Amino acid sequence: MTLEITINHNHFILHYSGAMYWAEQSMLLISDVHLGKVSHFRKHGAAIPDIAKYKNFRKLDEVVEYFNPEKICFLGDLFHSSLNTEWELFEEWVHRIQKPIVLVAGNHDIIPVKKFEALRINICSEWVLNGFLLVHHPEEREGFFTMSGHIHPAVQLQGMGRQRMKLPCFFRSEKQMILPAFGAFTGTYIMQPGENDKIYGIIKNEVIKINVEKL
Amino acid sequence: MNRKELFDIANTWFEGQGWQPFPFQTQTWTAFLQGKNGLLNAPTGSGKTYALWIPVVLDYIKKNPDYKTKHKPGLKAIWITPLRALSVEIKQAAERVANELDTQLTVGIRTGDTTTAERSRQKKKMPDLLVTTPESMQLMLASKDYPKIFKSCTAIIIDEWHELLGTKRGVQTELALSRLKTVAPKMRIWGVSATIGNLQQAMEVLLGAESEALQNSVMIKAHLNKKINVLSVLPEKMDAYPWRGHMGLHLVDEVAEIIKKSKTTLIFTNVRSACEIWYQALLEKYPEFAGEMAMHHGSINRETRQWVEQAIRDEQLKAVVCTSSLDLGVDFAPVETVVQIGGPKGVARFLQRAGRSGHRPGQESNIYFLATHAIELVEASALRRAVAETVVEDRIPYLNSWDVLVQYLVTLAVSDGFYPDEIFKEVKSTFCYQAITEEDWQFCLNFITKGSQSLQAYDEYKKVEIEDDGKFKVNSRSIALRHRMQIGTIVGDAVMKVKYFSGGYIGTIEEWFISKLNPGDVFIFAGRKLELYRVKNMEVLVKRADPKAKATHASWMGGRLTLSAQMSELLREEMYAANTDDMSNELKALYPVFERQRKESIVPDEDEFLIETFKTREGYHAIFYPFEGRYVHEALASLLAFRISLLSPITFSLAYNDYGFELLSDKEIDMQQVLDNNLFTPEHLHSDLQRSLNATEMARRKFRDIAVIAGLVFTGYPGKVVKTKHLQSSSQLIFEVFRDYEPDNLLFQQAYRETFEHQLEEGRLLLALERIEHQQIVWKQCEKPTPFSFPIITDRLRERLSSETLAERIKRMTANYMK
Repeated sequence: MTLEITINHNHFILHYSGAMYWAEQSMLLISDVHLGKVSHFRKHGAAIPDIAKYKNFRKLDEVVEYFNPEKICFLGDLFHSSLNTEWELFEEWVHRIQKPIVLVAGNHDIIPVKKFEALRINICSEWVLNGFLLVHHPEEREGFFTMSGHIHPAVQLQGMGRQRMKLPCFFRSEKQMILPAFGAFTGTYIMQPGENDKIYGIIKNEVIKINVEKL
Repeated sequence: MNRKELFDIANTWFEGQGWQPFPFQTQTWTAFLQGKNGLLNAPTGSGKTYALWIPVVLDYIKKNPDYKTKHKPGLKAIWITPLRALSVEIKQAAERVANELDTQLTVGIRTGDTTTAERSRQKKKMPDLLVTTPESMQLMLASKDYPKIFKSCTAIIIDEWHELLGTKRGVQTELALSRLKTVAPKMRIWGVSATIGNLQQAMEVLLGAESEALQNSVMIKAHLNKKINVLSVLPEKMDAYPWRGHMGLHLVDEVAEIIKKSKTTLIFTNVRSACEIWYQALLEKYPEFAGEMAMHHGSINRETRQWVEQAIRDEQLKAVVCTSSLDLGVDFAPVETVVQIGGPKGVARFLQRAGRSGHRPGQESNIYFLATHAIELVEASALRRAVAETVVEDRIPYLNSWDVLVQYLVTLAVSDGFYPDEIFKEVKSTFCYQAITEEDWQFCLNFITKGSQSLQAYDEYKKVEIEDDGKFKVNSRSIALRHRMQIGTIVGDAVMKVKYFSGGYIGTIEEWFISKLNPGDVFIFAGRKLELYRVKNMEVLVKRADPKAKATHASWMGGRLTLSAQMSELLREEMYAANTDDMSNELKALYPVFERQRKESIVPDEDEFLIETFKTREGYHAIFYPFEGRYVHEALASLLAFRISLLSPITFSLAYNDYGFELLSDKEIDMQQVLDNNLFTPEHLHSDLQRSLNATEMARRKFRDIAVIAGLVFTGYPGKVVKTKHLQSSSQLIFEVFRDYEPDNLLFQQAYRETFEHQLEEGRLLLALERIEHQQIVWKQCEKPTPFSFPIITDRLRERLSSETLAERIKRMTANYMK
């Protein structure tokens, strides 16, 4: 269900939902939930089943219950679009879980800061914490290890008999880690790993370290 | 004026042109003037345009005896063509008749290319005769007060109906006709179709099953028997023939000889990339063709295509390398010879192409067939028989296309709004929706008004509103605008425009091809070497490349064709003949290949079903040869892989061509167990197919088009194009949401139904399995790949099927990186 890794003497637990738990900080990191996407589509006349929008909240509940963190940090793209009825569901959720929340804003986060502040959510463009840089867009910065999202990384696997498979993944390079998209209604982007990259793939209810081999 | 007087007018005009009307033309005039509906079966370039424009004009003359001095305004007739490129020609023909008979009738065009100014002019004053496309017809139904425009219309002609039949554009046309029957009760409906196997059904689809219109109808056949000669292009030495090599370029000298001998030659390839490659290869080896040779395919810009078409007519070109883009359309009289490169996969298509040559009276049609790999030569010999015996395929019409119906209902809601009771009767009268139930209908209504089947809290869904008097209406301007944009969406491959950085549009290319290139890479497109500068929005900006630069040829995914049932049967019969003394020239030429095949394996007989197994570096191969065409093999491969995977956990990658299919695995397949368990049984076919992973994958792909047509995903806003890549992933996500939350959604189910009926061809599959049941299975364990297997195992486009757990598989797989 999970996979434990160490980065710069800090301990992290990767969850199959795409969330990552930072043990030293007792903090849950979640990227690219894209709430509101289903309602956004429906508002514009695309008849996607309404019930689909509850799935993200079920996933959030599950992962919060599993780790019971002290705080939660969203690495951007929490909301897909402008305000719609899913905001109310989100408000309910925030009241229910009763935990401090930080949002490192992403390119999709266009909902007014005031609305977040009213929910006592801290919103910032980046967060530096104990040698780690938390941002939405991947970047490498001298002296830091970066945690980011934005890309929705996936990886393409190959095997004998011309087998192939695409998996969403945590994509770790020397100086940063890119989290997979947490949102249920999001796509992926296939990344090309380099020699020193580490890939943690998500398969159904597991996180597995993927072998990287030279072609 | 009586009919004789009217005919005199027409005959005099024909004589003035130095022509004599064909019997099928006068038969059509008579039936039309009698007020009948009908289907005219006539090939391209036979004079079908005048078979129908003439009586339209005569009918006007009849009703308006003072036609020369007084013009009666209002739309008289609509001519629908599937290709807007053809509209100019059709307009010219109509104008010729209208003007030379002094009628004062005006002719107009309404397609996606018509300017806004022209459209608003038409809105004020419609032309008398209108040439349009199925999409533009729908758009007119989406405009306010449309019944006023059509009220006076006395005829609608659907040209190239065989091309529309069996497509969703055909369904669009059926729906438009169902509306027009009410709005314009005096309208006659006429279709024009090339020869297909199910002409009678084609007429039923056009006029409506069991409709009044059908009862008052005739079918008229042109019967222009023209001699068609099928000639194979054979190399001098057969051992030079490649086993796979899908281009046939080793025969470039032979093709050049054919070009030199003839006034104008059309060289048909099956796919656009082959078209590009052949054009380049001919120019490289025969630079003297430069200036006399051109290329024509669907991705090249319209101006260039029109220039090529005109140049053919003006006898300026010796040769044109083209794709199906030149299948349809008007007469190219100077064409003397046609070359078909690679198997045309269907008899109807082959005949149509052959018919492009020898248009002058008394001339014969010559078509050369060039097989791109050895086994394909068998197709040549099968085609010759098909031509001799005029075996032609059916076009299967769509049934219950809910996506098109949903789109149509929103269209009506966008214009004047509609009352469900009235429209339901019309919809049910069409062929496509003849079996629609009240529940299906309610589903569609709920879908467009509530976005679901049950009303939920917190909902913001907005599309069609129900007004107090029960009228269904779209009141939001932005929804109306978006819907109108959606109607014209030609569903197909995701394409991007290719433009010079300095300006100038060259054509369109598929997104996946461009996504593999980096700026600075050079590719060949539209016969030019182009350097990728950058990709912006949906545009690919390019510069002219250094002529010496290394370049890749542009390629397209679309257009992979399958052998028709009729072709497959002929092909099998030809293949069996290889074991007899009664061999055609092509089979004799293939003798060395058959010998090689027999060394390791056999050439199967009628009562034998061949399976070959061997091992290579890639893994364990098992090849099966049903000779049923690509689509049936796709289904069979998936079915068999699924059934084998039930015996023990295993993972396959599947490949197929028109002759057979391959199951490739990293483990050895226990073939004896496959045979012992009778895995080819037709029993449980449907449920096994459904459970095979592949069907879901295929349905997921089908769903993309459905989602676009039904308005579940947007293809673009004005001036702000949504990347098709996003559209693609959205439709996949929506597919999954339906699967998880609304599996009884009719649109979701339609994706499966289309997969089974149109893609997997379940009916054909069942027949194939029944045939195999009566054959003796011959299993050959080979040392190395055989000539038959070679084209299959080298195919890179593959599906996968597995019964192993994901974790199991992943342990043996790796994510590779380039050094």
